[in-house]
Amino acid sequence: MEKWDVVVVGAGPGGSYAAKTAAELGLKTVFLERGKYPGEKNSSGAGLGTRWWRDFPEIMGELPKLPSYRRIDMIVIKVVDEENRLRLVQGTTGSDRDGSRWSGSLDKGMAGASIYRADLDPLIADLAVAAGAELREATLATGVIMEGGVVRGVVTEKGERLAAEVVIAADGAMSTMARSAGVRNRWGGGCTLVPQVDFACDEEKLDAVVGNAEWCWFGPFNGAYQVNFRESFHLGAGKWLRPDWDTRPQDMLKRVMEIPAFRKFCKVVEARPREYQAHLLPWLKKPPKTFAGGMMLVGDAGGFPCPLDGEGIWHACMSGRIAAETAAWAISRGDVSERALAEYERRWKASPLGLEHSFGSEFVEIWDHSIFDPELMKRLIQLILEMSEIHPFSVLFDWSDDHVSCLNQHIEHLFDLLPEFSQFGKRYIKPLNAAISPRVVRRALLQAKVRMPALRLLPDEAYLKALSLLNKRLGERLKGTAGR
Amino acid sequence: MEEMDFEVKELVYRGEGDTGDFISLDPERCDGCGLCAKVCSAGLWSLKEGKARLAPRYRELCLECAACWEICAREAIDFSYPAGGTGVTIRYG
Repeated sequence: MEKWDVVVVGAGPGGSYAAKTAAELGLKTVFLERGKYPGEKNSSGAGLGTRWWRDFPEIMGELPKLPSYRRIDMIVIKVVDEENRLRLVQGTTGSDRDGSRWSGSLDKGMAGASIYRADLDPLIADLAVAAGAELREATLATGVIMEGGVVRGVVTEKGERLAAEVVIAADGAMSTMARSAGVRNRWGGGCTLVPQVDFACDEEKLDAVVGNAEWCWFGPFNGAYQVNFRESFHLGAGKWLRPDWDTRPQDMLKRVMEIPAFRKFCKVVEARPREYQAHLLPWLKKPPKTFAGGMMLVGDAGGFPCPLDGEGIWHACMSGRIAAETAAWAISRGDVSERALAEYERRWKASPLGLEHSFGSEFVEIWDHSIFDPELMKRLIQLILEMSEIHPFSVLFDWSDDHVSCLNQHIEHLFDLLPEFSQFGKRYIKPLNAAISPRVVRRALLQAKVRMPALRLLPDEAYLKALSLLNKRLGERLKGTAGR
Repeated sequence: MEEMDFEVKELVYRGEGDTGDFISLDPERCDGCGLCAKVCSAGLWSLKEGKARLAPRYRELCLECAACWEICAREAIDFSYPAGGTGVTIRYG
């Protein structure tokens, strides 16, 4: 039987990054890919955010050379009403507070890059091979080898047995490894299905119409994302796989393709549907158990995708890196038991990955009670449109009546809509208050103090103490910030 | 404006090679709820005499998404994967 330090199952971003890290740490590493090559069985093209430049600069430096690359500077949200009319176009982009922070050219906010997984996956796999890991393509792992309740390796479809000190399962949402080791079975309501269509189009026309942006479509139906590549784009949607599922997956996309503004856009950029794919995407409040004796789960297999936006590639690479580092640590100590590998969970929870999931429940609840409820979406869109009217240009330039009447009508309508959403805000948005760091709360309170002449002479700590006495909960939040 | 539509089966590419069997149904467990048929983009599941039925040609039509496996609360559907190096090839994803 072959003997390895680490066997990684799956050569998607998480598996390849784990293999790269393990090899760099001097571990004898093999990674297995069921496709003919990494990227063949990929799941969905990707928008990569600016944190990629901070965490994986060796990947980002190579991206612009790849055929599908498009630089992304903003996201444009397009909102349509019940009659399919385009009513609002809103760009979301970050403040240019510290443009040099990570990449030298990209701001904070929703900026980054679009890249096909067919391009990205081979790139990361190549880095792993260059680091000394061995890649085996067209190799399907069918189960784990268990001894005394501990995973000791994997078995392939051809009956080969690969012994390993540690197995890193990066085999996607359906993770055969996790099931075979008895870590989990189905997600049971915590997994979405994502149908997606690739459209080929004209590069220059896409440059002119879309530029360096991703698009999103929202309306009284499930929202859809439009990831724009060099000379193509993806239209995708998603919904939790639960007993109330009521549509053919492709019809979620066909609904968006009925929007006249979308069709016109397609016509102008000469778009034609070129490929259809459907994938599972775990979208959980928090990852369930991510380790067993002798095994760690990374990426989708571990349930790591972002609880707010479903992005999973950064999460896969981060968890892959942490799993490989934990493997090296455990192997060097000669203990890969379940108890020892609990270290993996401690480490990812202490990383940015854990911070993102620490409010997973709140993030998921927001989606669960808004976008996936078409009736609520109808009213939410009214609210969004009305709120966007309370904007210097819109209110002043409403031509439906004299401008004083218009202003009053808008305010009145807004107050009609608000109570309906106050409950939503209270239940699903307000809990996120707890995510605001005490340091930020403290700073905001002190800035407010400066604007109040009567309080200006009061010492900072006395002022905060007084506020804490007036509001007990605020006091709790500010605990331990004194003197910072 | 001209029609813009697509047929799933015309937009899926496949390599050569025998996938082997990779989906199976345990009729004892199936309660005929029909959710597998609703979530399948390729329309591979139907209901016959109160039980789910998998299209015999599923090996050449399946998209390998495993939605049928995930949605089945009775765990009547077993899903593995096509043999290594066979099945769907995603070119533009």
